[in-house]
Amino acid sequence: MNATNVKTALPSEGAKDLAALAEPADAVALEDVSFTYRSAGRPALAEVCFTQRAGEMIGIMGASGAGKSSLVKCLNAIIPGFEHGHFRGVVQIHGRAVKDVTVGQMAPIVGMVFQDFEAQLFSTNVAHEVAFAMEQIGLPPDEIRRRLEPALAAVGLAGFADRDPTSLSGGEKQRLAIASVLALRPSVIALDEPTTDLDPEGRAEVFALIRKLRETGISLIVVEHETEEMRECDRIVVLRDAQIIIDQPPDRVLSDAALLAGCGIRPPGLNQALWALGIDAHARSVDEAEALIRRSFPSLPPLEWAADQSSSAPECISSDGGSAPALVEVENITHVYGGTVRALDQVSLTINEGDFVAIIGQNGSGKTTLAKHIAGLLKPASGRVKLAGRDRASMRPVEAASLVGYVFQNPDHQIFAGTVGEEVAFGPRNFGLPASEIERRCERVLKAVGLESMRDRDPFLLGRGERQRLAVASILVLEPRLLILDEPTTGLDYPQQRRMMELIGELNRTGTAIVIITHTPWLVAEYARRAILMRKGRKLFDGAVRDLFSREDLLASAAFRVPEVTQLARRFGVSALTAAELAAALRGSR
Amino acid sequence: MPIYLYLDRRTFIHRLHPTVKILAVVAIFWSVYWVDNPLWLLPLGVLLMAGAQLTRAWPNFYSLRWLFVLLVFATTLTWTIFYRQGKPLLHLGPLFVSRASLEYGLGRGIKLAELLATSVLFLSTTKVEEFAFGLGELGVPYRVGFAITLAFRLVPLFIDSALTVVQAQSLRGYDFDSGSLITRVRRYVPVTVPVFMGALRKANNMAMALEARGFGYGTRPTSHVHYEIRPLDILTLIGVILLGAAYFLIYYTGHGAIAPG
Repeated sequence: MNATNVKTALPSEGAKDLAALAEPADAVALEDVSFTYRSAGRPALAEVCFTQRAGEMIGIMGASGAGKSSLVKCLNAIIPGFEHGHFRGVVQIHGRAVKDVTVGQMAPIVGMVFQDFEAQLFSTNVAHEVAFAMEQIGLPPDEIRRRLEPALAAVGLAGFADRDPTSLSGGEKQRLAIASVLALRPSVIALDEPTTDLDPEGRAEVFALIRKLRETGISLIVVEHETEEMRECDRIVVLRDAQIIIDQPPDRVLSDAALLAGCGIRPPGLNQALWALGIDAHARSVDEAEALIRRSFPSLPPLEWAADQSSSAPECISSDGGSAPALVEVENITHVYGGTVRALDQVSLTINEGDFVAIIGQNGSGKTTLAKHIAGLLKPASGRVKLAGRDRASMRPVEAASLVGYVFQNPDHQIFAGTVGEEVAFGPRNFGLPASEIERRCERVLKAVGLESMRDRDPFLLGRGERQRLAVASILVLEPRLLILDEPTTGLDYPQQRRMMELIGELNRTGTAIVIITHTPWLVAEYARRAILMRKGRKLFDGAVRDLFSREDLLASAAFRVPEVTQLARRFGVSALTAAELAAALRGSR
Repeated sequence: MPIYLYLDRRTFIHRLHPTVKILAVVAIFWSVYWVDNPLWLLPLGVLLMAGAQLTRAWPNFYSLRWLFVLLVFATTLTWTIFYRQGKPLLHLGPLFVSRASLEYGLGRGIKLAELLATSVLFLSTTKVEEFAFGLGELGVPYRVGFAITLAFRLVPLFIDSALTVVQAQSLRGYDFDSGSLITRVRRYVPVTVPVFMGALRKANNMAMALEARGFGYGTRPTSHVHYEIRPLDILTLIGVILLGAAYFLIYYTGHGAIAPG
């Protein structure tokens, strides 16, 4: 990315015009804004007051349903112009009230980037995509052509003008969406969970871009769940139950354990480690955390010695014991898409009874394809899958279903029934189980996922976390010995993620083998015992999570980050996957 | 499933003005409409094949080959059986085949194949944005043209989600190939409900993103690409108008019909 290009692309004329009109330097001001969606019983925003000075970067955090998206949508009149409901209060952008305008008319002033990048791209090539917004506001063709290249260069997509957007990676798609917003030169850009659906590489790309944009003086508002990314904000605004609970710089917000717990936000891993050691502080980086710990524990060995230790003998736990009987045997599976693309290339692996495996790797590395082969959803070009010693291809669906269950990433791909109970009973009914058996299983499963009180509710009215658990229940009811879950925590907030993972952990303790596909490092560290790293259709690593996290070369090549706690632990010559482990190890060595 | 047939080449057909291309499609459709006789349909077929050769669009035809075969075969068969005119070559109970019915059936099959081939050729050489631009030049409102663009965008998304839903439900023992008609229709519910709900959600997200990008700003949208009318466009236009006129003449003089006999 070229710095001069960024500069030429971004100084916003619109912003200057508006700033000249308005005395206050506030880019955004919300005064007593309340909003209740037409179909909702309680307000999404309740008397929210909030200001953002020009050039500031604000992070918006909070649990699902706290009002984060609603707040952002007020800035460009999506609320109340697009979303209907009861609106009260005043929204000002550079001192000008957002009133009696359409969403479209706000586009040149406030740019908006959404989570769903697929739904933001409408064109057959990148140039058309970036030109789209400029065409809508009637810019002359010459001006549009002048702005095209700088906008693409600003997001690192120079030379992509003729590419088909559907051929881009997730991170590239999201950067393209940002470019098309940038081309209008808005003074404020709001990004509503821009990286939730991206793999680690895409996340890193988008956050690197956000940092660049910030240097150009554009006002940024970012809604985000992951705390590590939010440490660089000027301020973090935390919402709970439609209200702003706190609006302070990151060190104040992220060092308040009680506040974070009460608002459903995961504390940064480094802070968790500090707190576990009884150090009440906030660390912005691994270096800072190390310094803080060394100050409190002066007797810890110096770095050189520690580095020696870690390279010679990383503490290692054997992955799967090897003694448990094999549940799934994948033998030399190759999968070819569209005649040419090798999605899987000669992959072999064994999953044993009681395993807890995380499959990680970038989007397009073959994770989901591999998982679908294990579940028998795809036919391999060569190789075979054996379930409990028998060839998967020769099994009847009902037999296979009692061995392997597969929960799709999006629960809405399978929910259709009128009630939660009906939804869960669908599978066993299809397989012709007797009514009494279905009843027994439904009751047990709904209890396991914590939905027993919602049996007669309409699944479409449940929250995202509940729908995700319902999807798990409707597979679990078939009593598979192996449960595969494709990104079971995507789109969930921290408490929901915890709840889902605790459920999966409990299933594993009671004997179900688990395979999860995930992008979230801390989740792999805390829950999985074994990890499979995929890259370009090949298995790059298959072993204990602890071993994988000591192989930084491998992880870097697959754009997967080691959790910061593990990085911190390594500074002390300790191999730790969680804050508690690190604390225990350091206390022990003191 | 390839929904975008566009092939990025630089042939003269690719570079024709989008409006001219739309008018050419209309002229070919018009010509096909007026004649039933397979002999007179032949020159159009040759013209389309030349077009496919010129634009190197054969891969698209190849990937749609079964559609073509099915279309020609099914139509020819159906019309041969139902067109009961002329001296029977074969008359077995309800089965009736004559020279006229054979010709008519074949003509119908070729007609459909030619309409399809014209569309394939058009989409192979025209971006949906160009299509929308061409429609705009012909006076079609911007929103209508844009809706067409969006339809092309949405169809693959829906197909994708439908495939995922079928996979997800099949793992729960879902099987919509068995049972009586009524149970079968009811059995589609587990697929149609999630697909439909997903489509609504997607459409809502898309509408929001569109407006956030200035859709409905108020002014007439501009276009950053501009297409000049060049001499070749005018020649092509004259050519397709002559073609349309010629085929109307063939019909008018009675040559395009099937001779009863």
